[in-house]
Amino acid sequence: MTTSTQRYHSLSIVLHWAIGLALLFMFASGLYMVNADISKADQYRLFQIHKASGVLVLWALILRVGTRLVTRSPALPDALSQQQVFKAKLGHIFLYIALVTMPLSGWLMVSASPFGLPTFVFVDWINWPHIPGVARNKSIETLANNVHWITATLLGTLIAGHVSAVVWHNKKHDINLISRMWWNKK
Amino acid sequence: MKTPVNSIFLNSTFLNRTFSMGMLLSFSITIYLSLITTVVQAEIKSSHQSGTVSFSGQHAGMNFEGKFERWQATLNLPPQSKPNIIATFHMSSAKTGDSIYDSTLPEFDWFDVENHALGTFVSTKIETTEEGYQVLGDLTIKNIAQPVSFMLIDNQDKLNANFGINRLDYKIGWESDPDADWVSKTISISMVINK
Repeated sequence: MTTSTQRYHSLSIVLHWAIGLALLFMFASGLYMVNADISKADQYRLFQIHKASGVLVLWALILRVGTRLVTRSPALPDALSQQQVFKAKLGHIFLYIALVTMPLSGWLMVSASPFGLPTFVFVDWINWPHIPGVARNKSIETLANNVHWITATLLGTLIAGHVSAVVWHNKKHDINLISRMWWNKK
Repeated sequence: MKTPVNSIFLNSTFLNRTFSMGMLLSFSITIYLSLITTVVQAEIKSSHQSGTVSFSGQHAGMNFEGKFERWQATLNLPPQSKPNIIATFHMSSAKTGDSIYDSTLPEFDWFDVENHALGTFVSTKIETTEEGYQVLGDLTIKNIAQPVSFMLIDNQDKLNANFGINRLDYKIGWESDPDADWVSKTISISMVINK
């Protein structure tokens, strides 16, 4: 095994942790802006930040998947059983599906919203377009809203499982999985 | 045939007198017309180049303000025999300086500029008051005409007016925010017209 296959590509590592941090913010801001007792002005501002951040997460995910496809991934440790490898791969597939579904459902929700507010990605010259053909469609907005919330719950569960598996394998089997997603000294 | 000297003299005097009378008459007419235009104010033509038509309201509890960057108005004010005000403003020229608002305003549910490019105001009655003029008229936005009234205050070189409209009367934001949860129902209109 070469050094390059002991860990993911540097771009994948950067994107993995960046997306991880971004998701923490997206969960926190999403829950806060909908549930917290805040002023309309703060709620409005937070919605715009959440929307713009969601676009950035979508771009990062596209780049992450692209990088994953064109670079070599490190093999899973031999110590893992076939069943564990299967579960790990299945978990990752669900993770990717949930990760992509989140911004896409958010995008659909914003595009179908009766408010029709545009999404400027933190600067006035990046106006993220709406998905065509769904403008002011309350049914689609409701559907997208439900998908966004259900997927958020599933994604939260999957991330918890993802982190727990790394910790569990480390504690139980002394397998250091996190080194695959960081820069080794070797 | 020889013309008598006195006849020439007489003709010359007659011509001079006729010329003087003409001069006097035209001078009198000029003075008279000047007086009329001084007393009866001439038609005022105003536009975005010389005046301001702005609007303001609240969104999410925050104040916003914008202005129409293209509009024209013609004012014939009392004591002219048929006083009237006609104004036209280009709905797509409404700008607030906020990218989100400026992108949203032209849309179907707000100003619908694609189908209703122009808004108009046509007066129906103008009365002189101590401060200026009481104006009644129809404001048409999105092809919906609603009666409005306002005081046009005469400030020597300027005319000022402030009045409010209910945006829902014009179906502005009718689908997006019919209960005015986010955008205030009342939108204030302010005009400054330089004479």
